[in-house]
This record gives sequence, structure tokens and C-alpha cells, in this order.
Amino acid sequence: MEILKCENVRKIYGFGENQVTALNGIDLSVDKGEFVAIVGASGSGKSTLLHILGSVDKPTDGRVIVDGTDLSTLNQTQAAIFRRRKVGLVYQFYNLIPTLTIEKNILMPLALDKKKPNKEHFEAVVRSLGIADKLSALPHQLSGGQQQRAAIARSLVYRPALLLADEPTGNLDQKHSREIIDMLKLSHHNLGQTILLITHDEKVALEADRIITMEDGRILQDEKRR
Amino acid sequence: MWKEYSASYIKNNRSSSLSVRVAALICALLLSLLCGLFYNLWKYEVENIEQEEGRWHSRLTGELDAAQLETIRNFAHVEEVQIYEPENGGTQTVVELIFDDKGAVLENTPKLAELAAIPPEKIDYHHRLLAMYLIRDPNDTAPRLLFPFFLLITALASCSLVAIIHNAFAVTMQTRIHQFGILSSIGATPKQLRACLLQEAAALCAVPVLTGSLIGIVAGHGILKVTNLLLADMAGRRDVVFHYPLPILGLSLLVTMLTIWFSAWLPARRLSRLTPLEAIKNTREWQLKRRHKSPVLALLFGVEGDLAGSALKAQRKALRTASLSLVLSFLAFTLMLCFFKTSSISTRETYFERYQDAWDIMVTVKNTRLDSFEETEQLQSLPGAASVVVYQKAAASRLLTADELSEEMLALGGFSQASAQYVTETADGWLVHVPILILDDASFLAYCGQLGLAPRLDGAILLNQIRDVTNPDFRHPRYVPYIKEESAISILRFAENEETTAQAPVLAYTKEPPVLREEYAKLDYYELVHFVPLSLWNEIKEALGSPREDTYIRILGSDRSSAEPLRALQDEIGRLLGPSYTLESENRIDKYEVNARQIQGMELIFGGFCALLAVIGLGSVFSNTLGFVHQRKREFARYLSIGMTPAAIRRMFCIEALAVAGRPALYTLPPAALAVWGMLKLSYLDVSEFVAEAPFLPIALFLLAIVGAVALAYYLSWRKMRQIRLAEVLRDDTMI
Repeated sequence: MEILKCENVRKIYGFGENQVTALNGIDLSVDKGEFVAIVGASGSGKSTLLHILGSVDKPTDGRVIVDGTDLSTLNQTQAAIFRRRKVGLVYQFYNLIPTLTIEKNILMPLALDKKKPNKEHFEAVVRSLGIADKLSALPHQLSGGQQQRAAIARSLVYRPALLLADEPTGNLDQKHSREIIDMLKLSHHNLGQTILLITHDEKVALEADRIITMEDGRILQDEKRR
Repeated sequence: MWKEYSASYIKNNRSSSLSVRVAALICALLLSLLCGLFYNLWKYEVENIEQEEGRWHSRLTGELDAAQLETIRNFAHVEEVQIYEPENGGTQTVVELIFDDKGAVLENTPKLAELAAIPPEKIDYHHRLLAMYLIRDPNDTAPRLLFPFFLLITALASCSLVAIIHNAFAVTMQTRIHQFGILSSIGATPKQLRACLLQEAAALCAVPVLTGSLIGIVAGHGILKVTNLLLADMAGRRDVVFHYPLPILGLSLLVTMLTIWFSAWLPARRLSRLTPLEAIKNTREWQLKRRHKSPVLALLFGVEGDLAGSALKAQRKALRTASLSLVLSFLAFTLMLCFFKTSSISTRETYFERYQDAWDIMVTVKNTRLDSFEETEQLQSLPGAASVVVYQKAAASRLLTADELSEEMLALGGFSQASAQYVTETADGWLVHVPILILDDASFLAYCGQLGLAPRLDGAILLNQIRDVTNPDFRHPRYVPYIKEESAISILRFAENEETTAQAPVLAYTKEPPVLREEYAKLDYYELVHFVPLSLWNEIKEALGSPREDTYIRILGSDRSSAEPLRALQDEIGRLLGPSYTLESENRIDKYEVNARQIQGMELIFGGFCALLAVIGLGSVFSNTLGFVHQRKREFARYLSIGMTPAAIRRMFCIEALAVAGRPALYTLPPAALAVWGMLKLSYLDVSEFVAEAPFLPIALFLLAIVGAVALAYYLSWRKMRQIRLAEVLRDDTMI
């Protein structure tokens, strides 16, 4: 079942001589439950694509449909609600709110919807990510790996259709990187989570079911490994 | 979101919201003070009007029977009816109406008049009183701007506060733009972000608003109390009794909350509209859009000066409230003191010193004509009085022909520059105003003696001088003879009917008026003042109409050195005349002191406002320096990492403080000097006169207070900042 579809997506920044084409006619389809790694050199358009898929940014041309929703038709408020309910975003620098405890950080997407958490699901997520005993800590009291696990927990708490991870191991040492990838794989296997992962690291990419290679805003290669 | 996010942010970041709290406190204080003062002044004015002119709203005059009066009494919204029956066999009844709903006055009074068959021209409205409730009759063309003025000032104050304090909110909100990006990326809508920011503003401002309002009420009470004390000796003035009823408190809180809400809403709206990508990409560090040079700071302090200049430039948005408030407060304070100083020098020279010897005590005998005043001799024989002149004023006009004008007057262009308001050109010449000062006979005879004339009571003495209208210097006016001193008769015309005339024999033309506290030809340069004795006035008054209502008594005391003997003499006069007349009395020394106290009071009030404005700025400085410690640590860590010494960083910090504190002086002194130069020009004062009394000390103290407070803010911030663990700061990503 197709959960993500991109049709001729283009993204151009700037005007006139300063114009930069970040994405140039991307066509992409991802099925539910797939674990896709997107690789490419710096400036190849990976992050731009991820931002557009996460409705954090808008394409200049083309259509992006996630779980039946055409992202190009959403206004600011609708896009925010879409992000809250349909996608989970994980960044390289964790982006946790420094003044909130880990628990509050994780539950924030639900709080924004004025929804009470499903206790069992919440506990399952934090337990599987190994941060159940860190819930009352503040972000700066945790290691980088723990902060990233908290960020993943936040992205999974709403059971999103799509988990988008932008270099989630880019700021971590090898041991913590391994842990994070294991966590992502775990959520992929156990919860059937669809994951799009951007990475520079070939080893990390090899963990995915499918590897998409980008260059100059285009998809250079789309290799299904499993 | 409030519970999850804002509460913990506020709890953990008290210092960065300091400027918001201070701004809210001062906003509430100022608006509560303004509302309180304006309400009390409005109430005072309403009471004055009601006391002087009655508390009726509209008035009907006509032939009314009992049934019609009953209809009027029972008409909608008529609360009270005062009926004045016809006098001396007349037929016209006067009915004064008071309505319970003042908005119904203009609508219901014509209906009432129609019911009572009273023509529209027999309806009167109490325009002055109604205007105090913002009810204006379209036929009333008088400006009556007091209430609109109060509203305008409050609205202006509110707008100015929005302009000043919205930046405090903007800076506090801007520091968390990255966090809003995170929230937005996990699904917070713009509306949720805006609501969150406004809830935070409400939580931050609740206590300061209530505290500020309370201080404003107390300050308003204090100001009116001080005003009452300062003006206690002013003739004919009642004390203002301070009231702050609940509706005014409600109004003041509403205006304050609206002002603060709007101040917070402006930046909140801007921030909530950012896309998550824009917000997340925000580096949380002050940026320069383009390369900045600080040639003066670099020249004075070298590389540290240059870096401090760039840092200040990068912080300019964060420091905008501080800069604006500090510069405005210091500028306003300096200009205010300079204005009051030039004004007091001018008043002293043109009024107190010029009229120093003209009077000691002035008594106004209300609603009394000189010809019916019988106590003149008793007054003139009072032991403490050296000279007593009892006089009254009247107005007439006189036709001057071209032949009568002096050579000097003709050389100045005659009446070519005269306004039609003062001089009427006719076929035969020019009709000019003639103020008549009617002196009691004894004083007039003394005046004749003063001029070396034979004592007579059958003629007038003319003040024959006119100011050189080509010389605008009012401080050193030049006078020339007005008319030729040929005519032995002055033909005066009734001011309201020029056909009626009276002849006054001219005893003399003079340039030396009697010693009275009167100013002549102040506005109307072309008036021809006549001094006449009461005896002559009694002969010509039939033709010239009624004099003005009040009689004046000018007294020179035997002992003029202090206020005590003058006050004793005042009391004596009060005892003599009080039982029979309504009096207003003042003495020269008390008046001088009251004037000085008034100026001091004004300086105190305006100075207080300036100080409050400065406090907003200083609050913002403290907020900037203490609220962005981590941010500055990272900035300084970068300098340290490339080899800058801690001492150099401290120097850079000191230079920043110096620039922030010195900016008010730098921006204020040139315009202040220009303004003072303008004031001196306008008031024709010498620079040396001003410099000898210039308020250098309070200005310097105000500036020192600003410098001291800024230095303290930077010192406290430096204490927090000096322990930098380089590696940690450069790696730290969770800083707020």
C-alpha cells in the first residue's frame, strides 16, 4: 500500500542570478512499512526533500501525497496539524525543548492536540528506547544518544504514518549511532513503522530495505535490497 | 501548551523576562496615574461648572401653565426640574431640566419645547457642562476640548507605550524562536503559538499590572495632595479631593491590558507566522546583515572597540527599547528642565521684577462697582498700608484721524500693520480700543501730583505711547508717542454702540502710568489707555455703558520685606470688607512663592515621568545583559578560542556598557543645545543669563544615575559570565 507519493517535485530557492534548484523533478513512491535510506553528497537535496515530505517546507512545483493528503493544498495551520498527527521528525541536533522534562517533550505532540496519551503505548515506546528512567530529566542532563532517543520517542508517540529522520546519528559516536539505528529498526519491525532516513553513513544506509541515492536535486539510483 | 511549555519556561527564565515585567509595571503605573489624574481633573472641572453656572442640562423659557409643567416633570429621562416663576409682573417662566440620561438631552428637550409650545430659540443648553460628558450640540461652535484632550492624551500615552514595550516582548520572544520552530515542526499551529505567547504575556504581566496600577493610584493621590499644598494660597481655588472609583479602576485596567495585549500580540503574530524551517534555522545568535564598522570606537579603544561596536550593532534590536527609552527620558528631562529654567527667568524678569514695586496686595471685590464701594477711605487709612488705589476698568473706543497721529507713529507705518481685530478703519480714520481705568478720586489726585499736574477731577490723563511694532523683542520694547498732544478733549464712544459718545477733557498726555499691577497694550498694541477719576466717570458713564463687574484694590504695604506683614494686612482687609463683599486676595511674596512651588511641582511630576521612562530602558538593559548570558558566553568563547585574553573581553564588555550609557548624552546634548538656543531666541534672553542659572547639576545627576545603573547591569552580567569553560560552551547545544 502506497503511503507516500511524489510527482515531479521541484524546489527552487532565490531569484534571478541567485536561483538555486534544490530539487529537480523528484518522482518517488514509498509503501507502508518500508524502511528507506536516502543518501547523497552534501547539497544533493536530501534535507530539502525531507522537509517537503514533512510539510516543513513547500515544493515550488509538483505534488506530494502522504497517507492520502496532498501537502501542497495545506495552509499553515493544516500543515501543522498534519505534522503533529501524520509525521514524526527526527533531527541531527535532537531539537528537544530545553526547559521541558523528557516526558513532557515526548508527549508534546499529544498535548498540542489536547489528547491524553495511551499509557501502554507510551510506556512501550520509552521502554523500547531505553529512556524509561530518564523521563523526569531535562534534556541537558542526558547524553547525546539519550537525547536522540527521546527525540525518536517524541516522533513515535502519535503513531505517525511516516517517520522522517534527518542524519539522526550525525552528532553521535559509533556506539550511540548503533543504538539509534537499532531503535529505528526495532520500531520498523515491531510497529511496522514507515521510515525515511537521510544519512551520509553508508553503513547506516545498508540497514535499510531500500536505498535512494540523490545528486543535484535528482534521484540518481533507487535500489531495493530486500 | 501553557501547562506543558510556558509555565516551565517562565519558571526557569526569570531574568530574560525582567524587561517585560518592568515594562508592564510602568505601563500600568502610567496609565493608572493618567486615568486617575484625568478623572479627578474632569470631576473638579464639572464641579466648578456646576458651582459657577448651575447643574442644569437644558433650559426652557416661556409662558407655561401648571399642566405643561407637570408634563415636563413626567417626561422621559427628566430627573429633576427647577422652576423659576416670572418676576416683576413678567410672564416668562424659566424651567431648568436635569436628565438622568445625558445622552437624551439634545433629543428630548426640543420635544418638550414642542409640547409646551416654546419656540426653539427659547431653548438653552448648558453646553459647557454637556461637553464634559462628550455631548455636543451641533450649533455650539466653541471648541470645549478638555475631555477630548484627556482622551487624546490617554490614547497617545497608550500608543507610545505600545511602541516602547512591544520591543521588550519581541526580544523575549525572539530568544526562543528556535524552540518555536521545534514546536511548529512537531505540529503546533500558528494559533497555538500565538495563544501560548499571549498566555505567557498575561502570566508575566498579571502581578506587575496590579502592582503598577496600585502604585499609580497612590502616586495620583500624592500628586493631587502636593498640588493642593502648592496651590493652597491661590486666590479662588478649591482643593481637589482625590477619588478613584471602581469604574475608573476598571477602565484603567482595561486600557492597560489592551496596551499590553497589543504590545505582545504584535511580535507574537510575527513569530507565529514563521515557517518551522525559518524558525529552526534561526541560530539564536545576534547576526549582522552586512559588514559593520565602528570607526569611533575602533579609534578610541582599538580592536576591542571595534568588536564592541559590532556586538552592539548586532544587538540593536534587542537594545532598541533600552536605547529609545534612555535617550527619550534623558532628552525629555533635559529639555523640560531647560524649558522651565528659561520660562522662570523670563517670568521673573518680565513679571515679578518689572511689577515688583507696583503692588504688594491685590484684592478683587467681586460684582461690585467702584461708585458703590464705600470703604475706600477706611482702606487708605489702614496703618500697614502705604498706598491704596481702588479702581475699576471699563471699555470704550475712540476715532483717531491721520492728523492726530504723531510723527513717530506715522514713521512706523501708522495702522498699516494693525489687525482688524483691534483697529477698525473707517472713512474718517481708525477706531481704536480705549481701556479706561477709573481711579478713586484721592488716588487720581495723587497721580496728578506724581505727574506734576494741578490736582483736578474733571479730566482724563492719556497714556500716550505705542510700542515699535517693527521690533519684536518684547523684553526690550521701544516706545514712541502715539498721538500728537494737541487735542484738549477726548471723544469716547460706547464700546457696544459707537453712535453714543462722551467727552472727556484731557488733563495731560503721559508716558508714566499710575503705579498699578496692570499691563497695557499687551495684545492690542494700538489701544489708547485713559486714566479717569471716579468723579469724571460718574458724569460720563451714562453714555459709555456699564463698567466691568469687579473692583480692584492695589495696596503697597509699609513693610514690604517679608510675607508676614503683608498677610497681616490681607487679614485686616478681609475683616474690613469680608462681611459685605465677595473677595479674592493675593499678595506679591506669596504669589512669587506659589509660582516657584508650581514650577517645582511641575518639574517633579515631569521628572517623575522621565524617570519612569528611564526605568523601562534600564529594565531592558538588565534583561538584555542578564537574560543572554549563555549567548554572550558562546560569543566570548569564540574570541577566547582564537586567543583573545579575558582582560580584553572585559574591556570589550566595559566599552559596550559605556556606549549604551553614553548614547543618551550623545543623542541628547546637540538637540538640547539647539532647543535651548531656540528658547533663548524666542524669549530674548542672553546666553549668559541662562548659563548662570542652567540646571547642569540635575541633568548631570540624571545622566550619572543612568550610567550607574547600566554599569551595574553589565557588572552583574560579567560576574555570571567570567567563568567560561571553553570546550563546554563551544559544544553546548541545549543553551536557551
